[in-house]
Amino acid sequence: MTDPTPLLTVDDLAAGYDERTVLDGISFTVREGEILVVLGTSGCGKSTLLRCVVGLLPPRRGRVLIGGRDVHAARGPDREDILRSVGMAFQGAALLNSLSVAENVALPIEEHWGLDRRTATMLARLHLSRVGLAGAADLFPAALSGGMRKRAGLARALALEPRLLLVDEPSAGLDPVTARGLDDLLLELRARARLGIVVVTHEIGSIQAIADRVLMLAGGRVLAAGALDAVRQHPAPEVQAFFARSPLPQAGERSLLEGLGGS
Amino acid sequence: MIPAARMGTDTPRLVLRPPLDGASLEAARRELSRLPAGSALLVDVSAFERVDTVTVARLLTLLADARSGGLVVRLAGTSSSLAAALAAVPLALVEPGTPTTHRSWLEQLGAATLALRDRARRMLPFLGEAIGGVLVPVGPRGLKWEIALAQMAQAGVRATPIVVFIALLVGVVLALNGALQLRQFGAQIFVANLVAISMTREMGPLVTAVVVAGRSGSAIAAEIGTMVVSEEIDALRTMALSPVRFLVVPRLAALAIALPCLTVLATTAGIAGGWLIAVLVLGLPSQAYLAQTVKSLFVGDLATGLVKSLAFGTLIALVGAWRGLTVEGGPAGVGRATTAAVVTSIVACIVTNAGFTAFFYLIG
Repeated sequence: MTDPTPLLTVDDLAAGYDERTVLDGISFTVREGEILVVLGTSGCGKSTLLRCVVGLLPPRRGRVLIGGRDVHAARGPDREDILRSVGMAFQGAALLNSLSVAENVALPIEEHWGLDRRTATMLARLHLSRVGLAGAADLFPAALSGGMRKRAGLARALALEPRLLLVDEPSAGLDPVTARGLDDLLLELRARARLGIVVVTHEIGSIQAIADRVLMLAGGRVLAAGALDAVRQHPAPEVQAFFARSPLPQAGERSLLEGLGGS
Repeated sequence: MIPAARMGTDTPRLVLRPPLDGASLEAARRELSRLPAGSALLVDVSAFERVDTVTVARLLTLLADARSGGLVVRLAGTSSSLAAALAAVPLALVEPGTPTTHRSWLEQLGAATLALRDRARRMLPFLGEAIGGVLVPVGPRGLKWEIALAQMAQAGVRATPIVVFIALLVGVVLALNGALQLRQFGAQIFVANLVAISMTREMGPLVTAVVVAGRSGSAIAAEIGTMVVSEEIDALRTMALSPVRFLVVPRLAALAIALPCLTVLATTAGIAGGWLIAVLVLGLPSQAYLAQTVKSLFVGDLATGLVKSLAFGTLIALVGAWRGLTVEGGPAGVGRATTAAVVTSIVACIVTNAGFTAFFYLIG
């Protein structure tokens, strides 16, 4: 039976850096076995949203509930417990460069589950084999290609068997074959482990391949949300420009010829 | 020569002609400067049938200057080529910039005070967690000895040759300078006292601290700062792992242990340097010099040096780690943090040394 409580609830979230507001009034939910794709053009606040969800950036307003518990209000062991139920794969993988790939994946297992190093490393190798990196376990991150790094980051995000997985730009900078492989991996994780997955991307191919629902951001606000086909039909020029892959004229910006004449 | 810019006489009208080079731009600017703010100005660009990007850029700088001077500018005679070049140019590119607001000294003082308060608020939990972490040496949440031992090897063992070499030279210099003065009183044997006490209480700990700040304080800041830039610290946090417990506490323990050990070696090397000068240059008997050295030192002197070195090790590790964790601005920020870590560590060690010396003097 499906748990009625959403894995992730973002409620009227506002966030930013210094005096700059990046997100304003963001609300959505993610349930188990669901892939939500957050999309939008560069700089629209997608990655900031993930940082807020995982507790790295405190919100100015609103709440982030993971499994019904407020990640920003929680402290100490309670916060640790919430974060253990979330896995995050960073855009650049963010592997610890001083550790081998297997050690990177084993680190959270060893620390949180109290397993001995040998068992933790074996578990790490299992996770790495799931993402097709069994042969790279003993390499250091510097020796990995971009696609391998992303998969290693994904394996580490899955190490504590989270219920919610956050993935930042999984296919950015990858060749189409590797990108498709990562999409397939996310689909498999959803089907097999019933994970709730939030993927931030602006790759239209990935969106079409994996999205159950999409959330389109523009200017730090939710512009459109729902099933991909429904969002595609949204009349907003930003949505149409995004899916048509054409640049959008800057609203409200006067051209020099308009302003100074040009006869 | 056809003038590049000519001001119309009936109405304010600036006629521009190609080539629009530096000299013609200057001439045009001089004409513009004669117009009072608020005047309308027609800029005639009809002579520009074909334009390149440099000409467009020069024209834009001129328009921006005119608008900054308060002129109401209109373009006239825009050719299709120029219109095409200007089609995508936003008006904002030639808008006068927002004037910089100058804050009074009182406002600046207030802002600096608030920034200091914010920094202290962020620093206190860091200090608490770092120092508290060292006080839990064992257990599942205890000190990461594996990392600490690796750091001790890096910061301690590998620093030994350079620390010993520099301390030896400091001992030599102290002995030579002391001998010059003491010779006047026929008291050259007291060079032993001078070198032994100076090295044990002051120079040994301080020389060691300066070398370690340069070697290890900078390395800690650079290593942790790079991890901040590459989101490794964020990754640790998302895994509910404390970067302070993983990265700072082992380095703090390593330096707090390594510094006193290095200081003992440095002090010994400095005394050896003094002995070399005494025996080889001043012609003092070796046995007498060593006996005088032993006679001049008390346990309190040794304890003073060790307490200072423990404090210096703690300071260097904390400053380096803090500078690393607070890196902003990408790779350039790492460079700044590294420099700041070394400078702050050395200044902090010297100030702390002065404080300790004053304290020990007062308590006798």
